[in-house]
Amino acid sequence: MPDLDIRDLVVRFTGLERPALDIPELVLPAGAHVALTGPSGSGKTTFINIVTGLERPPAGRVAWGGTDIGRLGEGARDRWRATHVGLVMQEFHLFPGLSALENVLLPQRLAQFRLPPRLRAEAGRLLERVGIERPGQKIETLSRGQMQRVAVARALVARPGIIVADEPTASLDAEAGAAVAELLSALAGEVGATLLVATHDACLIAGMERVLHLEAGRLVPAASLPAASAPVSAAPAPAV
Amino acid sequence: MFRFIAADLVRHRWGALAVAVLIALATALGVVVTLEERALRLGSARAAAAFDLVVGAPGSETQLVLSAVFLQPAPLTLLPGSVLAELLADPRVAYAAPVGFGDFSDDRPVVGTTQPLVDGLGGIAEGHTFMRLGEAVIGAAVPRALGETFHPMHGMAEARGGVHTAITYRIVGRLAPTGTMWDRAILVPIEAVWHTHAPDNYGHEGHRHEQEADAGRHDVAATGTTPADASPDSVQPRTIADAYKRRQESEAAGFDAPIRPSAVADPAAPGVPAIVVKPRTIADAYRLRQAYRTDHTLAVFPGEVLTRLYGTLGDARQILAFVALNAQILVAAAVLLVVLIHVLARRRQIGALRAFGAPRVVVFAMVWLEAVLVVGAGLVTGFLLGYGVALLLARKISVQTGVVLPVGFIAEDGGAFLLLFAACGLAALLPAALAYRQSPAAALRD
Ligand SMILES: Nc1ncnc2c1ncn2[C@@H]1O[C@H](COP(=O)(O)OP(=O)(O)O)[C@@H](O)[C@H]1O
Ligand SMILES: [Mg+2]
Repeated sequence: MPDLDIRDLVVRFTGLERPALDIPELVLPAGAHVALTGPSGSGKTTFINIVTGLERPPAGRVAWGGTDIGRLGEGARDRWRATHVGLVMQEFHLFPGLSALENVLLPQRLAQFRLPPRLRAEAGRLLERVGIERPGQKIETLSRGQMQRVAVARALVARPGIIVADEPTASLDAEAGAAVAELLSALAGEVGATLLVATHDACLIAGMERVLHLEAGRLVPAASLPAASAPVSAAPAPAV
Repeated sequence: MFRFIAADLVRHRWGALAVAVLIALATALGVVVTLEERALRLGSARAAAAFDLVVGAPGSETQLVLSAVFLQPAPLTLLPGSVLAELLADPRVAYAAPVGFGDFSDDRPVVGTTQPLVDGLGGIAEGHTFMRLGEAVIGAAVPRALGETFHPMHGMAEARGGVHTAITYRIVGRLAPTGTMWDRAILVPIEAVWHTHAPDNYGHEGHRHEQEADAGRHDVAATGTTPADASPDSVQPRTIADAYKRRQESEAAGFDAPIRPSAVADPAAPGVPAIVVKPRTIADAYRLRQAYRTDHTLAVFPGEVLTRLYGTLGDARQILAFVALNAQILVAAAVLLVVLIHVLARRRQIGALRAFGAPRVVVFAMVWLEAVLVVGAGLVTGFLLGYGVALLLARKISVQTGVVLPVGFIAEDGGAFLLLFAACGLAALLPAALAYRQSPAAALRD
């Protein structure tokens, strides 16, 4: 399981005078379960896009297990993400017309010439694990909570070492959100993956070992948070 | 990947169908224009094959060919009988046969001619050729049986012109199919036509030909309005008709007389509107044409006249092809736009595929393949549709005119198809490239 090592990461967007993200140093140990909090617009999604390689870090070093993904080309970053990262987004990005099982397997099917049989078995097992009873059910006929659970199964099917979720419970009701939150930490724990979740959801935050708090693109100590989840290695930064 | 494309196509089936139909229609338009023009060219050239040289009275060359070869009704000025006699005696002539048209039976042209043309058209397939004045040979597509009789009319049926009701022809033979207008014609001995129209036979008929000769060409329907029934005075026509009928009946017996092939060689024979000439050699053909291009006669190569006609036809085709091409370009642009909008509308979905681990080349291939599938289905359907429509059109023309239009693809069309397909494949690269360049992060954000 790779650890995350960030140095001098600065992300700027044109039209914003402040950097959207400014992190001089951040180290997360492998297998850590980390919540990323902060008000809307504080840079959580930007941070997630950078650490998953969806966007290229414009400056600084972002390394997972020694691999600086900022140095990878676009195709290489895609391949790296496909093998190392399982993604769960606020919107589920499931594909209508396909069944739950087909949705879980779709990225693998597209990435591999021939789908290994063990992946199909793993997909079935995961769907069962997240409580989807009929893997053949058309995805558009599922409830929102069920859809997000299918998305969780999809993120885990290739056994990634890193699981990243961006507000995975924000569009769900409390009950469904709690189920997804529990599944995420439980499943990440089962496979020993590093889990990084951007969220406002207190229930989700409570299940995490650490909390990173973002304010206007900078990591700040989260004084108001439970003592057990104070940020460990975030470099102290002055609040703006 | 194919599962995904299939699911996507099923989801957007109406849009995909609309795009495919649009492409199919545009393609079919071009295919019909191309096939029909080619069929018309081949078909009419085949129809004219038996007619090396046609001699008529001075006038329109095109009309002479249309009337003599394609039996299009038009009152042509008559050639004096001496011209046929002269041609028959000419050593450069293999055969010369009159084409005496103007009479009809149920809208089918009744053409007076002689044995050489019967042979030249391909001969008799069933029964025997005409040997008596009252005998007729029908074209392959005439729906009559041997042994039936009919009364020809002067002019088309709807015009109800001078009715030769007393003249009765008996069908004794059927021509082999020719794939030309002649399949719908009825051939009778030219002598029989003369017999019913000659001045010594009945003054009125002869007089009418003079009128036609004087007035040059005018509508058959107009000549059809003879005093027989068009006059508001109801007493006189009946008298004329009665007198006419009585005379015809008295002559009906004479129609049993055998034909005299030598009658056509008589310089004093009545006139004919056109003469079909088979020259012995190509050189003879040119010499004959030269010799019969005079103040009193006109000689044309139907092939040449047709070629000139195709020139005009070709211009029309180019205009049509131009219109079709523009329609196709418009459709192609519209389709490209639709596909681009579709891809743009789905860039979330496409970007997400990459975010969740699909290689971007696969995403590219998927979008490309899906576009090509829809467009290709449209193209193939368009070719089939165009072929079907061209076939139907040709059949309709064939039923109406008797000219068999050979509708068919040639090797060149295969090339055109591949070219079109390749162009579509290239055009589909655009939305695919759009999908390829779609940033997955941006796709997930909005
Ligand atoms: N592509 C972009 N172009 C310009 N500004 C952006 C872009 N993406 C994000 N931002 C800005 O960066 C800041 C951080 O956004 P984001 O990471 O989405 O915040 P959060 O996820 O915490 O709500 C916001 O001010 C947002 O407007
Ligand atoms: Mg966000």
